[in-house]
Amino acid sequence: MKIEEVFSSKPRMKILRLVARLGALNVSDIARRINLNYSTTNEHLKLLEAEGILQQRVYGRIRMYRFNGRSNKAIAVQNLIEVWEQVNKQ
Amino acid sequence: MSHQSVFKDEAKLDINYVPHRLPHRGKEHRLLMEFFNFLLRFPERMTQRVIITGDVGTGKTALAQRFGADITVKANKQGINFRYVHINCREYRGKLFLILQHALAVFRPTFPRRGYSAEELLRTLVQVLDEEKAYIILTLDEFDAFIEQEGSEAVYKLTRLQEMRSGKPQRISLISILRDLKSTESLGASARSTLQRNLISLERYQKDQLTDILNDRVAMAFEPSTVQEEVVDLISELAVSESGNARFAIELLWRAGKYADAGDMDDVTPECVRKAVSSIIPTVRRSELASLGLHEKLFLLGVARFFKESQSAYASLSEVERAYAVVCEEFGEQPRSHTQLWKYAQLLSALGILKTEVATKAKRGRSTCVSLPSIPAYELEKELSAAVKRR
Repeated sequence: MKIEEVFSSKPRMKILRLVARLGALNVSDIARRINLNYSTTNEHLKLLEAEGILQQRVYGRIRMYRFNGRSNKAIAVQNLIEVWEQVNKQ
Repeated sequence: MSHQSVFKDEAKLDINYVPHRLPHRGKEHRLLMEFFNFLLRFPERMTQRVIITGDVGTGKTALAQRFGADITVKANKQGINFRYVHINCREYRGKLFLILQHALAVFRPTFPRRGYSAEELLRTLVQVLDEEKAYIILTLDEFDAFIEQEGSEAVYKLTRLQEMRSGKPQRISLISILRDLKSTESLGASARSTLQRNLISLERYQKDQLTDILNDRVAMAFEPSTVQEEVVDLISELAVSESGNARFAIELLWRAGKYADAGDMDDVTPECVRKAVSSIIPTVRRSELASLGLHEKLFLLGVARFFKESQSAYASLSEVERAYAVVCEEFGEQPRSHTQLWKYAQLLSALGILKTEVATKAKRGRSTCVSLPSIPAYELEKELSAAVKRR
């Protein structure tokens, strides 16, 4: 997928900011925090996972998403968000 | 102009403060280091289980926390991902799933809080530790509350965890803290044997030991030359009669300092200590009362009111139950059942607030008698009424 397609979605950007801020989160928690329904949130998460930005971990009945520590894309996105938020704070 | 305080840093007298040096507990600290030495050399190869016992104010919690902080620094310096997790079981009502939830939150603060059994949480905790290549010492303080609530099976689950995953790195070591081993008698033989591998018993402090502890705290918490020598001596003496309770001694020192400040005095005098001691409830700490649940407080308030009115030294559980029902009515609460009250009486007895005895002279069966041996009923009533009204 092209970069503009990944980043053109507001919910996806909200998800990335949220995960950057809080670390690992489960699907319904993400959905609740960004005010979106479960299935749409799930689709966005799957897309971000397919792009190698997020990774999911399964703990028994629960799936939690976090940044994929092994992916350069994920590291770059995390850095971008961090710098962005820092500059905005100043 | 306001008078200068005698305190330099009163936080050093806080119940949660753990000093860098624990006078007269060096031997036990070294012993703990020996028990857990493997964590610094080959952490994945084994785990350890240690029990610390001792009366109130013998330094059980402080010893474990000091050790936890020290070994964390050592392990992290060697690049080992190690965490020390200290949990007071009574704060979590002795429930395994709440305790595990707390331990898991150290690594995954956003893990959902609802809907997971203790087994699932234990599995998840181990999985997370595997992912992070981390090791923990889980210290279960007031372990009696855990045994009382969960019994043998949960203890067994915790202690034999590794056997279910043989060949994999070992992750969770355990320190259990309790007053004495009496409460472990209710456990099954196998749970007890795995738990009691290493035992550290803390003796009550003697007067000179309490003096050393107090002198350390005086140096940390007070301005120079504001605490007279005889003040420390008097407090040590009083604390010895409170079964060598260092926590009591430190609280008394703090309170005496407060009286000095309130009287605009330049230093803490024996008179400040006398005032402090008359304001303090002997044996029972306010923090212990504060940790009780609402109905435990209401029940105890019923007991206090009964003994305030009555001249007798003992009350039957049904007499106390009637007093408790009146208290419940006063505070608009639905009274708990007789069995529940019996449980409260046992809990309060374990905490040393009440004394329960089984009277066999009753017409039939066995009935429980309650007494309030060491706390003035009116002091207790005052304290509890205020606490319940504050809720």
